[in-house]
Amino acid sequence: MIQGCIDGNRQMQQMLYDTYASKMYGVCLRYAGNMDDANDILQEGFIKVFRNLEKFRSEGSFEGWIRRIFVNTAIEHYRKKVKSFQVTDIEDHNIEDTALDVLDSLAAKDIMNIVNELSPGYKAVFNMHVIEGFSHKEIASMLGITEGTSKSQLARAKSVLKKLVETRLKQTK
Amino acid sequence: MQNFKNKLHDFEAHPPKETWAKISSELDNEKVIQLPGIRRRSRLLFYGLTAAASLLILLIVNVFNNSTTVPSNDKAAMVSSTQPAVNNNDSVNQNKQLLENIINTPASQKLLASNFQKNNGNQKKYITVAGPEGQPVKISPKVATLILSADNQYPPKPIWNEKIDEWQQIMLNNTTSASPAGLMDLMQSASGM
Repeated sequence: MIQGCIDGNRQMQQMLYDTYASKMYGVCLRYAGNMDDANDILQEGFIKVFRNLEKFRSEGSFEGWIRRIFVNTAIEHYRKKVKSFQVTDIEDHNIEDTALDVLDSLAAKDIMNIVNELSPGYKAVFNMHVIEGFSHKEIASMLGITEGTSKSQLARAKSVLKKLVETRLKQTK
Repeated sequence: MQNFKNKLHDFEAHPPKETWAKISSELDNEKVIQLPGIRRRSRLLFYGLTAAASLLILLIVNVFNNSTTVPSNDKAAMVSSTQPAVNNNDSVNQNKQLLENIINTPASQKLLASNFQKNNGNQKKYITVAGPEGQPVKISPKVATLILSADNQYPPKPIWNEKIDEWQQIMLNNTTSASPAGLMDLMQSASGM
């Protein structure tokens, strides 16, 4: 299928799209501020995938390679939209991950809705660090910010998320 | 990893149906445009055509030159007229070189030196020859050489022959003995007659 896509076989390309579109759209929704942005990222991401497919080395997982392209595309998109971070350094960078355990009880769609309530800056750092596993150094490099800013944005994101979850849980009770 | 992380990581959603159509049309546009490829191809075509045109021009010039050059007979004549001059120059140079080599060799130098010494030692200012009536006549060696070489021998000396013949006749008919002045006396005798 990969070779077919490299050769420009449209059927093969559609097959690849059908296989990964839903997963990658999930990635796009996590990073994008709205559906339109998510659609743009999805479209742009697949174009990049087809353009760069011949560069793929079969050393790692193909899905991981595609996912990385989509994350990078989402970050680029984010950087274009948000020219400057609204930096609000906070003292406490060490908000425990256990504070977010309450999210475990929620369905994936609800978690997504809560995460999407975060501001773009918080959401980007949260996704990159908590979900993708990037270090603050990597995040700082990719977003063009300092490590300290990345840490404080993450702490802020967690704090906001915790409050949002608590509010949501109170509403459901 | 916390559960919510997995849930977020694996979160899937169906994209709008028209997304693939947009991607497909964008890929089609890329296929049609492909500017770099076209440029590369057109550049190659340009270089190829330039090379072909250059070759053609060279070929035409070559053919034109061949057609305007002298015919083979004339060419041969030209060669024959110019070639000896070149050959002559070459042979003169070669002779000079050869002569210099001979002269400069120690053995030849000794021979030349001994000949010079011999000639200087036995140098005769005048040669005494018998006149028509048996009287002795002194003439210089140069004149004697000229007289001797005037007997229609090879190589011919057309300029001098007549004069020398005249001198020969004078010498043969002359009853007076020539003075030691040699050639000048002969000249005077000839002019007086």
